[in-house]
Amino acid sequence: MTTYVLKTLWRHRTRTLLTVTGAAVAMFVFCFVGSVQEGLHRLTTGADADRSLIVFQESRFCPTSSRLPEDYARKIKAVPGVREVMPIQVWTNNCRASLDIIVFNGADPDQIRRTRPIKLTSGDWQTFSSRRDAAIVGRNVARRRGLKQGDQFSIGEISVKVTGIFESTVPAEENLIYTSLAFLQYTRGLDAAGLVTQHEVLLTEDADPDRVAAEIDAELRSGSVATRTRRKGAFQANTLSDLVDLIGLAHWLGYACVALVLSLVATTTVMSVQDRIKEYAVLQTIGVRPMRALRLVLAESTLLCVLGGSGGTLLALAVLGTGGFAIGAEGATISFQPSLGLAVTGVLVSLVVGVAAGIAPAVQAASVSIVTALRQA
Amino acid sequence: MTLVELRGVSKSFRKGDETITPLDHVDLSIARGEFVSLMGPSGTGKSTLLNLVSGIDRPDDGTIIVGGTEVTALSRSKLADWRAANLGYIFQTHNLIPVLTAYENVELPTLLLKLTSAQRRQRVELALEAVGLSDRADHYPRQLSGGQEQRVGIARAIVAHPQVVVADEPTGSLDAETSEQVQTLLQRLNKELEITLLMVTHDSDVAAIATRQLVLDHGKFLQRDAVVAAG
Ligand SMILES: Nc1ncnc2c1ncn2[C@@H]1O[C@H](COP(=O)(O)OP(=O)(O)OP(=O)(O)O)[C@@H](O)[C@H]1O
Ligand SMILES: [Mg+2]
Repeated sequence: MTTYVLKTLWRHRTRTLLTVTGAAVAMFVFCFVGSVQEGLHRLTTGADADRSLIVFQESRFCPTSSRLPEDYARKIKAVPGVREVMPIQVWTNNCRASLDIIVFNGADPDQIRRTRPIKLTSGDWQTFSSRRDAAIVGRNVARRRGLKQGDQFSIGEISVKVTGIFESTVPAEENLIYTSLAFLQYTRGLDAAGLVTQHEVLLTEDADPDRVAAEIDAELRSGSVATRTRRKGAFQANTLSDLVDLIGLAHWLGYACVALVLSLVATTTVMSVQDRIKEYAVLQTIGVRPMRALRLVLAESTLLCVLGGSGGTLLALAVLGTGGFAIGAEGATISFQPSLGLAVTGVLVSLVVGVAAGIAPAVQAASVSIVTALRQA
Repeated sequence: MTLVELRGVSKSFRKGDETITPLDHVDLSIARGEFVSLMGPSGTGKSTLLNLVSGIDRPDDGTIIVGGTEVTALSRSKLADWRAANLGYIFQTHNLIPVLTAYENVELPTLLLKLTSAQRRQRVELALEAVGLSDRADHYPRQLSGGQEQRVGIARAIVAHPQVVVADEPTGSLDAETSEQVQTLLQRLNKELEITLLMVTHDSDVAAIATRQLVLDHGKFLQRDAVVAAG
């Protein structure tokens, strides 16, 4: 009986191929949209997003407009619940939403090494800390821009020597380039000696992030520049708020893709069954049970859908894995990454849609009036 | 011993406002091993009768018992199981599955029975041999002649070793020579394999190969000898 299903699909290979391709394209888009959403979700949840704070200048958004005294770090450190403060100078080539955003974070190399969950895949920390224009590049940026250790990388006013490539357990971080704080502060045009864009605050185990944030802002109110402190996740979501809305919309695009696959596979299966309704009458005359006829049709639609859907999913994962895609704005980025969850979702959705698409024609094949169908010429 | 028994079977169809009743309380019994041919004017309900015996259609009234099973009392899926094990159906147009080879077409009914793959292969090979098409096993229906297709259809009908085989104008779309072949084949199936056959035909020469010839006219069965004598 499997032979029958396979040979039927093969007989109409043009139709099969078109349907499989259509399902593949739609599931490709579905997975892409899914990965953007996963990226956003990762950005706003998890330990890094919840257990660290970002201190930014009040009512400023773009990193170029936030200017805080570097020595705020000392005051912040004194607030109870604060374990470590890392002053960071941010530089970005583009303050608006962009698919090829380059974000530099300048901070103390030893502190980066100590506090960030990153691992060098090439190069060494020694050279990074000793050379003034040294930079370590996140894996995603490296992939996108084709950078490797030893390259000279110039963009805008900035020119750095790539002394290492790193990977991170926080995917968004792989879109960053780290340099030393002083190097970025003295970059021409930034003119930020003694100033930083933001302070990243690490909390002690038992600290309540929101309470500490409020205390930091209260403490610094008396200083020269007022601040706004938020959890890192909330800070990034807020920075990317325009994009977040857009991504929320893309969500519907994902559903649309599923609906597309459903209607595509259902149409093909309905046509296929209607063409061969007499065949199903013959099969039942021979002794094939109605339930079995039903399963034959479901097998056909499911096979089409899973074949196309898995193909599209795999392709999407491969492209995501090698492309190093990211979307960003104002110094925060969302990275699109392949994930096991995405793969499982893609295949599972294809499976469910395949079964759903076959239900109507399957019922038709199973409940056909044998005599009427046989009387057809 | 009676194998097929119809008692007071009625069947009518609605066509718009009018109701046609081709079968009105008919009785018929066929003994095991008989080869019955059924003739009669077009539209008298011959095909309808075959469909009722096969359980692919249901009578409005009456009972049909085949080999001790009251087929009129079975559910649709029970009927399918019953057909798989007990009934062979030879169509006027062979109705082979075009995507399957001759071998695979004949194998289909055996897939519905509890058989080992060796038993299955043996049965298919025997059936193909019986219809003289062992050398065409790997051919697709479109690569076969009309007569060969019909013989594959016959092999498919007998492969499950059914108790009864029904045939609706099995030679109806064949030329004289191939019709001859099929007739000989049906006769052999009846004599050598002792298959009980119920065959509808419009051709009196074809009807003559049967062991009993019936004519269905206005819902009544007549013995053909009587009809010939009266005519
Ligand atoms: N499914 C159906 N719906 C409506 N009417 C039907 C149906 N099946 C059969 N009939 C009618 O019932 C009558 C008997 O049909 P049947 O096919 O049994 O005749 P037949 O004796 O086999 O004729 P033929 O020799 O032309 O094949 C015909 O008048 C036919 O139009
Ligand atoms: Mg007929």
